[in-house]
Amino acid sequence: MWFHSPSERPEGNVAAVELRNVSKAFGAVSVIKGVDLSIERGEFVVFVGASGSGKSTLLRMIAGLEPVSGGDILIDGRDVTFDEPAERGIAMVFQSYALYPHMNVYDNIAFNLRLARLPRAEVAARVKEAARILRLEQLLDRAPAQLSGGQRQRVAIGRAIVRNPKVFLFDEPLSNLDAALRVQMRLEIERLHRELGTTMIYVTHDQVEAMTLADRIVALEGGHIQQVGKPLELYARPSNLFVAGFIGSPKMNLIPVKVTSTGVGSATLELLARGTPKLDVAVTGLAAGDGATIGIRPESLFIGATAAARETAALPARIESVERLGNITYAYLDAGTPEVITVQAVGDVALEAGTDVAVSFRASDLHVFDPRGTRVVARTGN
Amino acid sequence: MKTQMTTRRAPLRLSLGRFITFATLGFAVCFYGIPLLWLFIAGTRSEASLLTDPPFALGTWEAFSRTWANLTSYNNFQIVTWATNSLIYAVGGVLLSLIACIPAGYALAASEFPGRKLILVLTLIAMITPSTAVVLPIFLEMNLLGLNNTYAGLILASGFFPFGVYLAYVYFSTSLPKGVMDSARVDGANRFTLFTRIALPLAKPIIALVAFFSFLAIWSNYFLAFVLLSDDQLYNLPVGLTALVSGSGALSNLPSNDVPIKKPEVVLAAILVVLPVLVIFLVAQRFVRSGMLSGAEKG
Repeated sequence: MWFHSPSERPEGNVAAVELRNVSKAFGAVSVIKGVDLSIERGEFVVFVGASGSGKSTLLRMIAGLEPVSGGDILIDGRDVTFDEPAERGIAMVFQSYALYPHMNVYDNIAFNLRLARLPRAEVAARVKEAARILRLEQLLDRAPAQLSGGQRQRVAIGRAIVRNPKVFLFDEPLSNLDAALRVQMRLEIERLHRELGTTMIYVTHDQVEAMTLADRIVALEGGHIQQVGKPLELYARPSNLFVAGFIGSPKMNLIPVKVTSTGVGSATLELLARGTPKLDVAVTGLAAGDGATIGIRPESLFIGATAAARETAALPARIESVERLGNITYAYLDAGTPEVITVQAVGDVALEAGTDVAVSFRASDLHVFDPRGTRVVARTGN
Repeated sequence: MKTQMTTRRAPLRLSLGRFITFATLGFAVCFYGIPLLWLFIAGTRSEASLLTDPPFALGTWEAFSRTWANLTSYNNFQIVTWATNSLIYAVGGVLLSLIACIPAGYALAASEFPGRKLILVLTLIAMITPSTAVVLPIFLEMNLLGLNNTYAGLILASGFFPFGVYLAYVYFSTSLPKGVMDSARVDGANRFTLFTRIALPLAKPIIALVAFFSFLAIWSNYFLAFVLLSDDQLYNLPVGLTALVSGSGALSNLPSNDVPIKKPEVVLAAILVVLPVLVIFLVAQRFVRSGMLSGAEKG
């Protein structure tokens, strides 16, 4: 077996990839602003962010395709900041597949092995093994133009795995595929990570991919890391408004509030909604008169005064529209807030557009963000 | 439903715009096509037929073969020597210009280096400078190098093809998929392998195009060859045929001499010059239009 298992790699507690104060500027425009990150060996790390957040640039810097303006990049403990891409022990899968159009599948996969002057038999063995893992055996003679999108992406992954890299880099590999294929390829990449156990860094703007694939998510915005953590950590305790709004689908309801008074470890908030309901929360770090924001996930909202929601004040609202997906139902409510409130309910709930209802939630499901957008309270009880 | 779809057609509307378009195209086809048609038909006719029959009367096989024999055997098959020379100049010049233009265009497109902009501007200036303007300096240069009246001299001079550099530059900077190049870098290709293993195989259309234009320029080059070559054994077809025509007096209505080069022979000679260009064009345009890059990226 020519794949190293991670344990065969040089010993010691060195991170697979380490970024130290890495920055990047295109002329006067600063794209990456001092990023520090340490990625463990065998970890699956996903960079998420909207377009322009710098996630792809950061990946290309790790790959060596984009020169670094400042800071150091270490792979397996070795400083590779100024190394050529091929010298870094990485392999990369591109959004556009980037197959060599003039070579068939076999030659595409074998190209990097031939450049590395591996013996012919070794090349054949590795290509065969990669083709087996990716179920490409039947396609080795085809030209890229004769392949479907999913097959092309598998060839691109095959080209990466024969290198037996220390780190796999994926740059939005699934965004050109249709929805069904995307799910299938996502599972395939997940299986690949399980089988190879190699460190993987994966860039996507799709938070479903991020949530399902990642051991750890790195949320990026404006060239800064916003939060690093396990997917459910980011979901349950987003550290700022950006992460709160980005992670989760449908997105978290964010409602502006005014801090009317503060006590020791608590504050009274006035919601900028119809009837300006008041709310007492256990929170520190807010000052009276501040304009803050609260966030509630759609699934934490209840329509009607159910028993579970008794502990909070109800928010009067009118149902604007109802979307029934079968297993779940989304209701969009007008509660006088700047943005429509989304509520997730069970599939067969009796809801009618145009009716007036009361929306309630548990105080413990509330996320509170200070005027600068930073989270100021953990969920009550945490 | 389906049959209806296939039989339905947009009604043919004869607007003024359409009419002008077709009228212009029709005029162009007649204006440029008729002389060419006449040329090919005239090659089969005898001198008497050329003077008396209607313009598009077909000639006879006998007339054609007599003309062919007269032209090719004249002066100990001299025209064969000239055709061979033309071929040597063309092949040598095309090869040389490809060797220079393709890597130059690639370097200008794919890399950043000091002076790149300046080189591009100089290329453009060289491109729009009429070639006849540099014939004298080239002559003096060749004289200095002792390359006047040699194959190498004319080949070297015709390898200078700034238009080809510019064509290659435009192609490489627009048609080379960025992801593919990045991918090859990750795969371990250095600058040289990147060019030879990735860019060059994808550049077939532009190689064909540069080769075609360079061939066209060299094949029909009269003035440069006329200045550089004085030995009639080294003439290319344009220079040789001009010498032949003016020497035989075929196109001047002088009293007849015994040189067998008359009007039909001149027509046939003209066809000999035009035909290779047509053939090369038909071959080259297939490459130029082929979708070499399909399937590289998401396409």
